[in-house]
Amino acid sequence: MRTTLPPDIRCAVTLGVDFDGTSHEVGRGIAPIGGHSWGRYSARRGIPRQMEALKRLGVPCTFFVPGYDAERHPELVREIDAAGFEVAAHGYLHEAWDVPKDEETALLRRTDDILKDILGKPVLGWRSPSGRKTANTMHVLKSLGYIYDSSDKDYDLPYRLRFGKGEDDWIVELPNNTYSLDDFPFFKFSYTPPSEVLAQWKEEFDAIYASDRFCVLVVHPRSGWGSGTPVRTQIFAEAIAYMQSHPGVQFFDSAGFARWCLDHSQHLEELNVTDRRAA
Amino acid sequence: MIRYPWPAGVASAAFVSVHFDAEAFDLKSTTEDRLFGRFSYGRYGVRAGLPRLLALLERREIAATWFVTASDAERHADALRMIRDAGHEIASRGVDLAPLPTLGDKERDTILRGRDVLAKITGTAPKGFRAPEGELSSQTLRHLAEAGFTYDSTFQDDDAPYVFAPAAGAKLVEIPTVHALNDALPLSARHTHARVMKIWREEFDALHREGCLVPLTIHLRGDVGLTRAARIAALEKVLEHMAAQPGVRFMTGEAIAAHALAANLPVEGDPVAPHQPTLAVTPYRGDLSVKPI
Repeated sequence: MRTTLPPDIRCAVTLGVDFDGTSHEVGRGIAPIGGHSWGRYSARRGIPRQMEALKRLGVPCTFFVPGYDAERHPELVREIDAAGFEVAAHGYLHEAWDVPKDEETALLRRTDDILKDILGKPVLGWRSPSGRKTANTMHVLKSLGYIYDSSDKDYDLPYRLRFGKGEDDWIVELPNNTYSLDDFPFFKFSYTPPSEVLAQWKEEFDAIYASDRFCVLVVHPRSGWGSGTPVRTQIFAEAIAYMQSHPGVQFFDSAGFARWCLDHSQHLEELNVTDRRAA
Repeated sequence: MIRYPWPAGVASAAFVSVHFDAEAFDLKSTTEDRLFGRFSYGRYGVRAGLPRLLALLERREIAATWFVTASDAERHADALRMIRDAGHEIASRGVDLAPLPTLGDKERDTILRGRDVLAKITGTAPKGFRAPEGELSSQTLRHLAEAGFTYDSTFQDDDAPYVFAPAAGAKLVEIPTVHALNDALPLSARHTHARVMKIWREEFDALHREGCLVPLTIHLRGDVGLTRAARIAALEKVLEHMAAQPGVRFMTGEAIAAHALAANLPVEGDPVAPHQPTLAVTPYRGDLSVKPI
């Protein structure tokens, strides 16, 4: 069965900001200074600017925050939460996630504890830093009480990712695409002018609106390859306004949409990866 | 709109910086006896590019900040004096383009030599510094402050200048740059200059609207620089557009730093110290960034 959104959801949009502060460099053993300091931009300028734009537009958004960045900026994380946005997990030191199975639980729990402690409430979702994960990751996320993962790239629609034979051994997967509906490929690799990135995102949205009706757009608040700087936050906002101009578009934070998926799981396709358990 | 106490009447400050990066750059890939052919783009910058860029800046009445290595300065002392005489600022980029963290205990002497060579040629000790490849060691800011520099311009973390206190009683202004306004990156990816200038115009319009620093980085070279005739013409259109916006003031790094020091900005702590415990136990896993040159 293929996932189909019911007619009352003309098109669902989830927006994500992957915090990616100094954790990105420090996690690779690089001091976040000089040309490596663009992660500092996230907390200093990028997050506040992007939050302001999102508030102005009145749309929900999920901020995926590495634990290390949350430890350094707990006030900012509380501000994100207080503004009504979702805070979700994104690794501790923005790991490349080549973690042995027996360390994965501790690693995921570490950031979960940090965020729960700052927020005073459970964390419901995770996006892999670097986009890697293992066959074991879903087990751990589920055991921590997470209701969704947003890391896989294998589909245009949400689905049930089944990882075990037990009745509850599945998690909502909200797949994303980091080659087109993301900022860093254009600003890190192809040096695309912001107006052309905006045009690309609008085309993506047009095609999605006309077909699968589920759009996941992700940006980063850092300088360099991120979007925290003025013109890039501006095109992020313009892309959102463009989506808003289409009839029936509904914006969800990722947890909100995952809850909708849980409530309507009969509409969701299931992908069974039970046999792909990590050795 | 950011809050920064620019001088009265200034909405945003445009900081035009030039990386001289002549033979010093080619010598990262070859030896002195082979500075020919593909390794002569640096020489192009001095022979063909320099007069053109100086003429453009004179036409637009812009004083720029030229970051120069000591090795290029010694090779082109007359050119440096010409730049100085045209009213521009000469600042330091070390001795050659070797990344500072690779120098170990020679880093301090390298910074001092970079300063002293420029002082001898131009008659004035440089006030500003920008690190080759954007690479600083945990000691660089302190060395700079102790060597009498008033500002560094290597970070990429803010929309406006701010102030470090790298040593007791010392202040060092940071004038951050942005990758998007560095010509060498898209040009090294072989984008057209029209496309690069499109990026610059879009970036500038938004930075200006929000009252930010507009840090342009121009290379003198014939390959990844903007000094070919067609590129100078494209650059001139952008500079003309910038100058036409109300409240844009072109300022040298030295002027921006002097203003920041007088503005009594809050002083920031050591940018490495909070990360030191984690860095000490985190193996180097490789640098994924695309380097500024």
